[in-house]
Amino acid sequence: MSQITSLMTDDHRHCDQTFARAETAAAKGKWDEASAALEQFASELEGHFDTEESFLFPKFEAATGMTEGPTKVMRGEHAEMRSALTRMRDALANKDKDDYAGEAETLLILMQQHNMKEENILYPMCDSQLAGSDVAAGLSERLHARA
Amino acid sequence: MIPDGQTLSYDAAPAFSTPLRFFLTAPLFGAAAGAALLAAPELLDSRWTPGALAVTHLIAVGFMLTVMLGALFQVLPVVAGAVIPRSGPVATVVHVAMTTGALCLAWGLGSGSPAFLVPATVLLGGGLTLFVVAAFLGLRRIPVAQATPRDMRIALLGFAVAVALGITLALALGGRLDLPLLTVLKLHIGWALLGGSGVLLAAASWVVVPMFQITPNYPATLTRFWAMGTGAVLLVWSATVYGELGSAEFALSAALAALCALFAVSTLRLQRQSRRSVPDMTTRAFQLGMGSFIAGLACVLTAQQSEHQVWPLLAGILILHGGFVSVIVGMLYKIVPFLAWLHLTQDVGKAPNMKKLQPDSPIRRHLALHAVALAALLVAALVGNAWLIRLAGLLVVGEFAFLFANILKVLGNYRRAHAA
Repeated sequence: MSQITSLMTDDHRHCDQTFARAETAAAKGKWDEASAALEQFASELEGHFDTEESFLFPKFEAATGMTEGPTKVMRGEHAEMRSALTRMRDALANKDKDDYAGEAETLLILMQQHNMKEENILYPMCDSQLAGSDVAAGLSERLHARA
Repeated sequence: MIPDGQTLSYDAAPAFSTPLRFFLTAPLFGAAAGAALLAAPELLDSRWTPGALAVTHLIAVGFMLTVMLGALFQVLPVVAGAVIPRSGPVATVVHVAMTTGALCLAWGLGSGSPAFLVPATVLLGGGLTLFVVAAFLGLRRIPVAQATPRDMRIALLGFAVAVALGITLALALGGRLDLPLLTVLKLHIGWALLGGSGVLLAAASWVVVPMFQITPNYPATLTRFWAMGTGAVLLVWSATVYGELGSAEFALSAALAALCALFAVSTLRLQRQSRRSVPDMTTRAFQLGMGSFIAGLACVLTAQQSEHQVWPLLAGILILHGGFVSVIVGMLYKIVPFLAWLHLTQDVGKAPNMKKLQPDSPIRRHLALHAVALAALLVAALVGNAWLIRLAGLLVVGEFAFLFANILKVLGNYRRAHAA
């Protein structure tokens, strides 16, 4: 697996684990713990989106001249996931276990089909288009700075 | 070469009806297999009865292959960035060809009328060829960077070989070719279940298990080499089958069984490390499937060393019904509500969440019925009592009717939300 793909895939998996922690706590009715885990997940997810939207995607767009291509689709899906996250927060605020479970399941599938597109298609394209640049080093620095 | 990035967008995704027609007709074939057991329990006397061949193909082609093709129309753009050209009309033709072909095949095999095998081979051969050609046209400009898209290509080739061997068998059965039937049959089963279905299941699992069940990744060496290694061993095994090299064939069969068991055990180990503590129905279905595969493989190897008729029957039940049907059902329960959610969100801007579109409790009841049907089939095959076989058949009809009803309920919720 090449550098950009590997770094960004690892960050996806890291976010998944925090997501699962929030899901487990909510299912057990441990609302404070669920809330703390969900906020940590939200911050990790937002950090990941920000790294892509303000750093990786512009580099890819500059290298390929494609601004209406895959990065546009991925930005659109980020917006969908932000809405899903808001609905999870609402369910948590209402302490509604079933609603939280349903919204969490929805975000999980939405997020993973998005991750599949990135990990199987977009990141390998970034690796081939941005080979030899310092993008991977920059990504590593950004991702580790917020770890 | 850079694929057109818009292939990732919703606009490029197939219409809801494209995969859905495959998912809706598949359970009817499963129910037909159960009805055949109910009507003619003597078909379980051995794997060679015409009825057993018909039931096998109702499940393998009518249910399994149909769902797999429907899912591939949806999944190839997501995991490989490949858009099947003219996917709507292609899906219509493939669907009609596969379903009518599966009916002709089951009828031709079950009633012992080779006349039906000719249209069956034309329809199934033509339908699958059209799909494989369209899929490769979609994939042709896509670089192979990851294990899943690469292994999906291998599976498509596996299916093509299996169907070619199936056509050869049908021509031999109809007296049009003079070939050693048992040899071609072994090759057909090996390529259909392992070269096609098994490799496709593994390719899907490389992403489905870690991502949706939040487990560690499969070991990198496994995802890198399993499908290619299995394909290579399958080729050498085919040569030993063709050359009738008995002991080498058994050794390679054991090697293939070990490779399959390695995949199943790795999957079960990963699932035990899942971070999701909430019971997930797809995970349960996968666990039943992997356990059944391991037991089924043991029966395959025992069958090669024993003359007893029951071992191949148990192997077939465990691998097809316990293994493939379980994991396919598990994945359908994720795919159908998600597609309903996705199309609602895009069409009307909002959608009920996944569990409102597809609640857990009917899935749980369906999977319980599926497990009971599996146990009943195994006991019925072991005991050989006609009434037990009828009971197992009835349970199989019930489980597939339940699956069909659950999919229809998602569609009902989709329609209500669309109209609201």
